[in-house]
Amino acid sequence: MSMQTPKEIGAIQFGLMDPETYRDMSATKIITADTYDDDGYPIDMGLMDPRLGVIDPGLECRTCGSHSGSCNGHFGHIELAAPVIHVGFTKLIRRLLRATCRDCGRLSLTPEEQEEFRDGLQRNEELGEDWTNVLKAAVRQARKASRCPHCGAPQHDIKHEKPTTYYEVQDVLAGDYSERIASAMQPDPDNEDDSGVSPSDLAEDSGLDLSRVNDILSGEFRPVGEDRKKLEKALDVDLTEEDMNKLMPSDIRDWFEDIPDEDIETLGIDPSRSRPEWMILTVLPVPPVTARPSITLDNGQRSEDDLTHKLVDIIRINQRFMENREAGAPQLIIEDLWELLQYHVTTFVDNEISGTPPARHRSGRPLKTLSQRLKGKEGRFRGSLSGKRVNFSARTVISPDPTLSLNEVGVPERVAREMTQTMNVSERNLDRAQQYVRNGPEGHPGANYVKRPDGRRLKVTEKNCEELAEKIDVGWEVNRHLIDGDIVIFNRQPSLHRMSIMAHEVVVMPYKTFRLNTVVCPPYNADFDGDEMNMHALQTEESRAEARVLMRVQEQLLSPRFGENIIGAIQDHISGTYLLTNGNPEFTETQALDLLRATSIDTLPEPAGEDEGEPYWTGKQLFSELLPDDLNLEFTSSAGDEVVIEDGQLVSGTIDEDAVGAFGGEVVDTLAKVHSKTRARVFVNEVASLAMRAIMHFGFSIGIDDESIPGEANEQVDEAIASAYDRVQELIEIYEAGELESLPGRTVDETLEMKIMQQLGKARDSAGEIAEDHFADDNPAVVMARSGARGSMLNLTQMAGCVGQQAVRGERINRGYEGRTLSHYQPNDLSAEAHGFVENSYRGGLTPREFFFHAMGGREGLVDTAVRTSKSGYLQRRLINALSELEAQYDGTVRDTSGTVVQFEFGEDGTSPVKVSSSEDNPIDVENVADRILDAEFSSEEEKAEFLGRKELPTNISEYAGPGLDKARSLEVESDD
Amino acid sequence: MVDVSQHELVPEHTLIDEEEVESMLTQYDVKRAELPKIKRKDPALPDEAEVGDVVKIVRDSRTTDKAVSYRLVIE
Ligand SMILES: [Mg+2]
Ligand SMILES: [Zn+2]
Ligand SMILES: [Zn+2]
Repeated sequence: MSMQTPKEIGAIQFGLMDPETYRDMSATKIITADTYDDDGYPIDMGLMDPRLGVIDPGLECRTCGSHSGSCNGHFGHIELAAPVIHVGFTKLIRRLLRATCRDCGRLSLTPEEQEEFRDGLQRNEELGEDWTNVLKAAVRQARKASRCPHCGAPQHDIKHEKPTTYYEVQDVLAGDYSERIASAMQPDPDNEDDSGVSPSDLAEDSGLDLSRVNDILSGEFRPVGEDRKKLEKALDVDLTEEDMNKLMPSDIRDWFEDIPDEDIETLGIDPSRSRPEWMILTVLPVPPVTARPSITLDNGQRSEDDLTHKLVDIIRINQRFMENREAGAPQLIIEDLWELLQYHVTTFVDNEISGTPPARHRSGRPLKTLSQRLKGKEGRFRGSLSGKRVNFSARTVISPDPTLSLNEVGVPERVAREMTQTMNVSERNLDRAQQYVRNGPEGHPGANYVKRPDGRRLKVTEKNCEELAEKIDVGWEVNRHLIDGDIVIFNRQPSLHRMSIMAHEVVVMPYKTFRLNTVVCPPYNADFDGDEMNMHALQTEESRAEARVLMRVQEQLLSPRFGENIIGAIQDHISGTYLLTNGNPEFTETQALDLLRATSIDTLPEPAGEDEGEPYWTGKQLFSELLPDDLNLEFTSSAGDEVVIEDGQLVSGTIDEDAVGAFGGEVVDTLAKVHSKTRARVFVNEVASLAMRAIMHFGFSIGIDDESIPGEANEQVDEAIASAYDRVQELIEIYEAGELESLPGRTVDETLEMKIMQQLGKARDSAGEIAEDHFADDNPAVVMARSGARGSMLNLTQMAGCVGQQAVRGERINRGYEGRTLSHYQPNDLSAEAHGFVENSYRGGLTPREFFFHAMGGREGLVDTAVRTSKSGYLQRRLINALSELEAQYDGTVRDTSGTVVQFEFGEDGTSPVKVSSSEDNPIDVENVADRILDAEFSSEEEKAEFLGRKELPTNISEYAGPGLDKARSLEVESDD
Repeated sequence: MVDVSQHELVPEHTLIDEEEVESMLTQYDVKRAELPKIKRKDPALPDEAEVGDVVKIVRDSRTTDKAVSYRLVIE
């Protein structure tokens, strides 16, 4: 295999192609529509001519001599019997016909105008704007001229009948002109005073001789030019009719040949690359067979590509055309055939032209011709170039595994055996490489392929693996299976932000799902109700290095969307830390060690005290073990108390969502920004482990009885609702008495609705408050709502107190029957229950009518989400396309690929959201920075010097290189040998 | 007629002299044509603006107090 040097593309130039070039490029002229002869060999000068390239393996290309695979194929050509229009250029053809002179072909613009447009073109190029604007303006200007400014020939209007027919429209003297004049001279029958116009009157009015007028009336003289206009004016009559003269493609070609090069340049077309007459085809290039391979069906029959079918049609009509013309067929027949040829060439290029019936396959399926191969989602651009199917990728269902680090992903062994990494065998890894090959493709970790130094690739099989392993030597390449510690890319659709694609380290596992730590659910927006994710094994050393340094999960802790951490404790983790730190429970030594078991902490701190001779440790103390010693923080927790962390010790406060949660947990955020990403990763992993142990220690469950409130509370709720009903009734009475005063900018009806909604809202809130008062602090639903783990107080209110008003489009439910929502109510009943107020709680149960209203409100929510996702998907595509090529430059500006400035300073402040402090007041936490510097200064001179010197953070590239759990130690046994 | 340029949401557009244009172009290492554009007919522009001029636009910014940008006046 020869190595090909990559070449850089300097520029791409688009233009039209000269028919002569088509002929020069052509490997052969195609003259027959037949493809294969009876023996199954391709016919010479047929559509499958072997000079056009080969698709059958074993055959040799008659043009370049290579075999299928190495020959890209060669173009052929068809000599068209008559020129036809290329559908891709119909608009430009129309413009040129309108802008140029029908006699001399020159652009109908004065030299000064031409100059102006050329300047415009230049300016447009400098500003990087669309040149077609100048073309359009020039055509608009040139079209105005009724006579050619160069030769004086009168110009006619051009009518374009889509897709490919052009007419010259011209006003000519009507055939019945004498009748029209005579009837206009008749007296008006409705007007008795009108005696008509006599020939002598007409002669006088129009200024023509009387004898000439008489000649015209008798039809002996045709009034043209000035005479016609005079007559028309005198009689107020139209003597013309439209004459449509069809322009045949050959006429247009002749016309365009006359257009001088300079005039084309004025329109922004480069005449050295594109002559306008080349838009009319005289030669049709025939794509190589490799572009339209035929397939052999199971029954041995050949099935041709759609393009081949279309080319067969073209050749058949082309032949018939030539035969008919040689036989001297009547013009009508020739024109019909010409149109047919035009149709076939048109549909060969584009089979989805409006106004043209698409060419169909025998089965009735429209043919996929050239344009259809390129256009749309599955087309060449969006389907094959911007996005394509890739090797070394896997997709399966995901499930959670809290024992993994957030940087890791559990990969099923079956997937690991399929995805490989290339090992370059050297003296140092020779033993391992041989072992992989010895394990074969079925064992894990094994190998699937090896490559000899001479470049030959060999498949490793169960049979040859032992033998092959002995041969492996320095310089070979081994494609070994994925093993623990390899880096892979992991992704969940819809990939809406950067964190939807992150790099993980492999942990090979049994069973069939990808496993991931639950703390990475927020960035992927993943859950485990059947979600699937994709994995890509990286294939080059560079990509693996980049993925480790830039894309690993720990490097993506901070979201560029809001500049705070997006990875942190979620749900049960938060309930767990809340239980551990709220009220500061005590633990015996065994319990404390059990809580910290899954972390890297292996010694307990000094006990907090002794209880009946037994030492005990507090929850805050155990949590503090996970914090770095130099952490100092103060903030308010979700539960509402002040959290104080001094020198890595939690002094007071509850650790909950605001401390360790995803989406801006203070501790995680500070660790990631002030300490290091690695420290933050270790912390999040360990908090998750500790929290899981804690929640299991305390036990955490929820049931229907956790939402029940005592009988007296229920009575209070009923009372609150009853009094709200009374107030609503009062409002209705005031309204019906016509005494309700409307709020500013509202009608009386709207005011009533608003006031009722307000009252009912209050009723639900007070029901909620009553219910809340009766919940214990250790109620699991309350714990979850207070800590921010899941759910809200409103959810609790609805479960225990009162569900409240159901709304559709922000209003009470008003639709259904005429004047009422359901037939259960009187018409025009304005009461709360008739318009969707649910007074029961979820626990208590809804009445059938309440249930129905609740379903109405619920349905709106579902419809909204469905509509929102489809709308936002499209918006996302548009936005990404618009922004995809913008880039922040080293000088701080944001520019597009052409160098045009889009933003003079990235984000207007030139800072990355993930690099600034999360404090509300100042983007750079000067106080904290200064504190730390002073601290260092006060300790000792050496330390100060050390501090002022640059402190390099240790590079951490793997779970196996510490800190955290020491994975490397548990990785002693490499193979199963 | 409402003068749009006086509306509170329309940022300040000021013409800058050739000297300032040159120094700005050097500062950002851009050609005049690589600047963002603004149509001469744009009502936010000062009346005396001509094609080829450069305007300085000072906007209120969410990230900095004032954000400065420049636009080339085109037809
Ligand atoms: Mg799901
Ligand atoms: Zn070839
Ligand atoms: Zn002319």
